[in-house]
Amino acid sequence: MSNVNGKRFLKPGKYLMMGNVAMAEGALSSGLKFFGGYPITPSTEVIEHLAKRLPEVGGCCMQMEDELASINAVMGASLVGAKAMTATSGPGLSLMTETISMAANIEIPFVFCDVQRCGPGTGFVTVPHHNDIGLTRFAGNGEFEVIAFAPMSCQELFDLTITAFNYAETYRCPIFILSDAYLGHIHEVVNIPPKEEILKRVIDRTIPKDTKGAKFTYEDIKTHKLTIPKPYIVGTEFCPPLIIHLPHNQDGILMPEENSLRFMKIMIDKIRDNIDKISLTEEYKLDDAEIIIISYGLPVRASYRAVDLARKKGIKVGIFRLITVWPFPKEKVKQVVAGAKAIIVPEMNYTGVIAEQVERVTDLNIPVIKVPKVATLHHPDDILKAIEEVAK
Amino acid sequence: MNRYEIRIVGYGGQGIITLSKMIAYASGICEELLVTQTEAYGAQARGGRSWAEVVIDLDRESKQIDYPKALKPYDLLVILSDAATKEVKKEVIKKEENTGLLIWDSSTILGKFRAASKMKNLGLPIQKMALEKFGDTVYGNTILFGIFTVVTKIFSEESAIETIKQFVPSSTLEKNIEAFKFGKQKAEEFLTQLKEGMS
Repeated sequence: MSNVNGKRFLKPGKYLMMGNVAMAEGALSSGLKFFGGYPITPSTEVIEHLAKRLPEVGGCCMQMEDELASINAVMGASLVGAKAMTATSGPGLSLMTETISMAANIEIPFVFCDVQRCGPGTGFVTVPHHNDIGLTRFAGNGEFEVIAFAPMSCQELFDLTITAFNYAETYRCPIFILSDAYLGHIHEVVNIPPKEEILKRVIDRTIPKDTKGAKFTYEDIKTHKLTIPKPYIVGTEFCPPLIIHLPHNQDGILMPEENSLRFMKIMIDKIRDNIDKISLTEEYKLDDAEIIIISYGLPVRASYRAVDLARKKGIKVGIFRLITVWPFPKEKVKQVVAGAKAIIVPEMNYTGVIAEQVERVTDLNIPVIKVPKVATLHHPDDILKAIEEVAK
Repeated sequence: MNRYEIRIVGYGGQGIITLSKMIAYASGICEELLVTQTEAYGAQARGGRSWAEVVIDLDRESKQIDYPKALKPYDLLVILSDAATKEVKKEVIKKEENTGLLIWDSSTILGKFRAASKMKNLGLPIQKMALEKFGDTVYGNTILFGIFTVVTKIFSEESAIETIKQFVPSSTLEKNIEAFKFGKQKAEEFLTQLKEGMS
């Protein structure tokens, strides 16, 4: 195994890489051992690349008969201790939600890459549309929280995939990477760090010393503090006697119905309690900003340019970028927008899913202006126009 | 940030996407500049109208290219098909003395290309020359890469040759380097003419 593991890391240096490939390489660097998927435009290059690369590291890339089989294979692999992922687009994600909900219940770590395309239904398959933002948040029946990342460059697709795998190990909830048809096919230079540096960043799947310890997240009766144990591995000593997707206690034993509320609290609060650690954001020229752009993914890059152009005209505007879209950092946003004249939310969808979240936070005291775009990127001028309109 | 905007338009199969990746590789990997390449995706890349864009940041201090697509007016516009000529208007190309150039293929653009005469432009029968001199139209790509190397001066000849080695099958390397040199020579002739025209 040791010789094949050598190929897990690319030679350190700079590579001209397609977005979908950068993400696949990020997964391999994280120690990916299993990929189960069904090819779908615009995510196909992920499975194509991993079909070649995974056997080189002693892993397995399995093209299944459909999306249902794919996600179930991913869960199976993760249950037995392999870092696992799938990649698909919106129509595939809708098919997979049943298993995602089950995985959330039994806290199986996995990473889900959604290369979004224009919907609803089949839609336009080769163009970008951030229309799965809501679907990822509520991907499946039942109450549970998810974590979703929105990268905006090939380098970030590589880096954030490593973070995504770490979060999967730590928080044991569904983790999404929200790419899109455009980002997935951009070519950019990706800087691959040396193996030692990557290894320092990666959280491995290992069996804890205390194999008798809890297998599922639990609440301390006295302090009400939640503890998320390391993921269990079926077939080892560190495995619950029973894995059932019903409300269960820390050993996997069925909870009485009247305790269901406590179980829901665990499912939700294990993420909400850690929101400050989970939530990654970035600020750009916010110090004196009167107008604030809140955005995620590719529209942020057009926003950078729009802000620079607006600043030249003397308009005080800045950007608050959500790197993790879910959980939505309500408190952080509240602080950032306090006293702002207006908020502009450029999103690659018509509804403005995140704009609606922002509206909830601001209580409608500050105008929230949506800048929708579908099937193509925002031109910097689209955002500049919105800024100038507000600044009038 | 000092963006250099490139757009290449033609039809699927001409090698537009490969050419754009070669430009991105030479600038991004060999010269270590920031670069973003985007391309037509879907059925159009396999026939029909196809395009690719490269944005190069000439400012070495920059951390990231903001907007990933090429912004008008372009520094360099390459037009390789009749249908693509519709895109060419005076305002889409930069007018500065040191940049702003239209390169077009006079063997694939058969009709009158009036818009070209209104700007700094280099029209050459690229595909025809490739076929006659090197036996296959695919060498047109390397000829263009040679022209690009000379007119933009973004990357060195060594970087360009290193890039060609990365992108072409080794059995055709020699011929590709010849095609590259041929393109370079054509571009040098063009630059001399341009200089004489100005003086």
